[in-house]
Amino acid sequence: MKILIAGAGEIGYELSRVLSEEKHDVTVLDVHKDALKKVTDNLDVLAIEGNATSPLTLVEAGVQVADIMIAVTSVDEVNIIASMMAKRLGVKSIIARVRNDEFTRPNAPITPSELGIDVLIHPELSAAKEIHQLIKRASASDIVSLADGHIQLIGVRFEQHSPIVGKTLEDFSGLYDSFSFRVVAISRRGTTIIPRGSNRIMALDQVFIICKTDNLKTLIGAAGHQEESIRRIMIAGGTEVGHILARKLNNDDQKWEIKLIEPDPDLAVDIANELKNVLVLNGNPTDPNLLAIEGIQEMDAFISVTDDEESNLISCLMAKHMEVKKTLALVSKSQYVPLSQTIGLDAVVNIKAAASDEIHRQIRSGNLLTVKALQGINAEIIEVIAGNKCAVLNTPIHSLKLPEGMVIGGILNNGSSEIATGDTVIRKGDRVIIFATPKAISKVEEIFK
Amino acid sequence: MIDLLNQRVNRPRIDFRLITGILGGLIFCLGVALLAPFFVSLIYEESSWVAFLITASFSMISGGLLFYFFRPENELRMREAFLIVTLTWFLGSIIGAFPFTLSGTLEFYTDAVFETMSGLSTTGATILGGVTAEGVINPAIEDLDKSLLFWRSLSHWLGGMGIIVLTLALLPLFGIGGMELFQAEYSGSTSDKITPRIQETAKLLWTIYLGLTLVQALLLWAHPSMDLFEAVNHAFSTLATGGFSTQNSSVEAFNSVYVDVVIILFMYLAGINFAMHFRLFTGNFSSFFRNSEIKFYTLLIIIFTLGVSLALFILDTYSLADSFRYGSFQVVSILTTTGFGTDDYSLWLPFTGSLLFLLFFTGGCAGSTGGGIKMIRLLIIVKNIRREFKQILHPQAILPLRIGDRLIDQSTLRTILGFFVTYFIIFAIGALGMTFLGYDFLSSAGASIASLGNIGPAWGDFGPADNYAGIPAAGKWLLLILMMVGRLELFTVLVIFTPFFWKN
Repeated sequence: MKILIAGAGEIGYELSRVLSEEKHDVTVLDVHKDALKKVTDNLDVLAIEGNATSPLTLVEAGVQVADIMIAVTSVDEVNIIASMMAKRLGVKSIIARVRNDEFTRPNAPITPSELGIDVLIHPELSAAKEIHQLIKRASASDIVSLADGHIQLIGVRFEQHSPIVGKTLEDFSGLYDSFSFRVVAISRRGTTIIPRGSNRIMALDQVFIICKTDNLKTLIGAAGHQEESIRRIMIAGGTEVGHILARKLNNDDQKWEIKLIEPDPDLAVDIANELKNVLVLNGNPTDPNLLAIEGIQEMDAFISVTDDEESNLISCLMAKHMEVKKTLALVSKSQYVPLSQTIGLDAVVNIKAAASDEIHRQIRSGNLLTVKALQGINAEIIEVIAGNKCAVLNTPIHSLKLPEGMVIGGILNNGSSEIATGDTVIRKGDRVIIFATPKAISKVEEIFK
Repeated sequence: MIDLLNQRVNRPRIDFRLITGILGGLIFCLGVALLAPFFVSLIYEESSWVAFLITASFSMISGGLLFYFFRPENELRMREAFLIVTLTWFLGSIIGAFPFTLSGTLEFYTDAVFETMSGLSTTGATILGGVTAEGVINPAIEDLDKSLLFWRSLSHWLGGMGIIVLTLALLPLFGIGGMELFQAEYSGSTSDKITPRIQETAKLLWTIYLGLTLVQALLLWAHPSMDLFEAVNHAFSTLATGGFSTQNSSVEAFNSVYVDVVIILFMYLAGINFAMHFRLFTGNFSSFFRNSEIKFYTLLIIIFTLGVSLALFILDTYSLADSFRYGSFQVVSILTTTGFGTDDYSLWLPFTGSLLFLLFFTGGCAGSTGGGIKMIRLLIIVKNIRREFKQILHPQAILPLRIGDRLIDQSTLRTILGFFVTYFIIFAIGALGMTFLGYDFLSSAGASIASLGNIGPAWGDFGPADNYAGIPAAGKWLLLILMMVGRLELFTVLVIFTPFFWKN
């Protein structure tokens, strides 16, 4: 596919990387030379210098022959104008990042489609949603609902005292044979393992398990976590993510006790005025005195979402040191994501990944239903519908020759869900949940055509 | 309202022609209102008809002439509005006092002005039925001509009418003592917007005021102990939260639970913001019942009714039924600053009395006819205190002040705190003035707060069974000024006496 990406910022870069790895024909457009140089130095993409709101530049960048344009510059207005022009110039589908929520509200006076935008993404909102989910399911580092919520994929860290540590996956399933679950990936010190039955689980492994929603608790227990109930939450940073998150928590029925720290006095006042149930503190989120006065030791969760990712990690470390049950940092460098396990953070949320997820999901909406990339692990979850020409129909999974880097996790058939085991058979029309590394994704597409 | 560009270039800073013209119009209206007691005197064939006719025609002729020669041409500005408001109440009392002396009922003009100001400011303090400092015996309330009784009640009712418009339509424009809060109350959402023009607002609110008065008069008339005359007078007095009665012993004279209950109910209603009544009648129940000020007001009434009634039952050994009957009546009467009585609270034991004394520092809701500090200010001050405590524990927290869903900004809070402090300073000056005239501390403090808060009956020498007749003239003027200052939300009057007001 020919894809034009306007904006080579963090999200644009991440998208270019992922999409070029998937062998798409990617062109990147940006006004900043430095940003473009970084793209051309590292990735196999075409880079064009110019303004995305200039029709000539758009034409030069091949907008007329592109299948998709993705407008992800840092400015809402540029993205909107670029989308309107690209639509005129004949791009088939347009994805744009717009932070202003006026277009997506129920009675919006102007809808995104009127601006030529097919899919509107809001990475900060997605990140906030993800954090919100993680707070509600406190022990997991990742949580993805699949098959309309019947099946969950959770990422959970196995603690030293877990009875499973040191055992093989076969032993693990033997210990819990009353229900089925499937370990689909293990992340160990930054490397991703798509495991076989003989692999062993080690302490501090980040293990990704597909299971039915009812069995979540048992598995989290097996990993050595008590299902923690969270009530007191401290949010460091009233950034867009922090603000949206605080707003979501503020509007929850659940009675959270929320404190939000924001260094900018004006922003702090704005948030305090808006959110009734949030105690807003004006101060530096990395100031240990402030954290001590506001009782960080008594917090159940500490969420650091400032713009400075290094201080996010540091303040989460401080919180961890104070024995806060759940710490969560917002990072945007993917290189930092594996760090979280090493230093013992409970979860990191990567805003770039959140954005590229959302876009990914749209690009592959052929027979691939949803795609979700996971933090700190080089693999994705895909839902596909097994079509007529599917190469793996009517054969038990254990006798299939599946390509390297791909695991079938579960199957959904007429509303009944099933966790895949060796004996599971895929039939025509089934929705299949697959776990695959980026390189295996094209093979998945081939198999399930 | 202040349309600078359409003003004439040579417009004076304070346009006295404009003020004179508008006051002339208002005096003319007063004259028209004075025709009502004139007709009452004709109906009851009383000799006071002459006094009313003279006063009415004097007002109408002089007011009409002033209005004719100084016809208002310019737009009203803030300073002129302050002067007009203050002078309206003052001249109203000066002129409205004529019938009392012209009819020969009162010997001293000061007494007449005191009685009229007490009426127009909806205070309800009286000099009738007592011996003046000069030794003259003022007639008892029951011995007064019915037309004069009617004029007293009517002055309450007119004062209440004026105050509703003043607090809901005029003062919000100038942000007096946080009054802009109630203006914003309806301009906030467009759906239930009371039309912003003062005249329209006034008409709507007066219709409600008139409607409530009619209903109460009918309900009271339905009881055999009251005739139509008494029912109308008490309805006027109740809706204005005034407190003048046609009986020396006030509502106690009717000795009826039914009358007590009706009056309690309407005192309660009169103590509520009339803009809220408007919403209630347009079917907007949720905004009425979710209103923080009304909730606070109702809660305070319930708490104090329980407190006072239980104290009456336990300490004063009243029967349980009597405790609640008299307890609830006095609590609502004082809290709404009405000042009706069914029982002499000055004879209650110290604790019971002290509970009631606290209520002298409350007042009705803003935008009601009730006087005093007002519920909303107390509520904001209470919330601010709570916030100060929280701030000590969270030094870096940003703690917005909210009343319901509304944010109270710093400048509003400042004017409200300013109001609060000024209120107590004036109260102290008033009390000091009364002690200078030789009254004991409790009587002086009581008289000062009862006048400033527009309540009426006070403590000690001025208890519910006593009157203000015996005070020397200087004291009467002091108290009647307090009534006016309290009624007009302090700053409206006080600002005129600051040098800034007159400076360019």
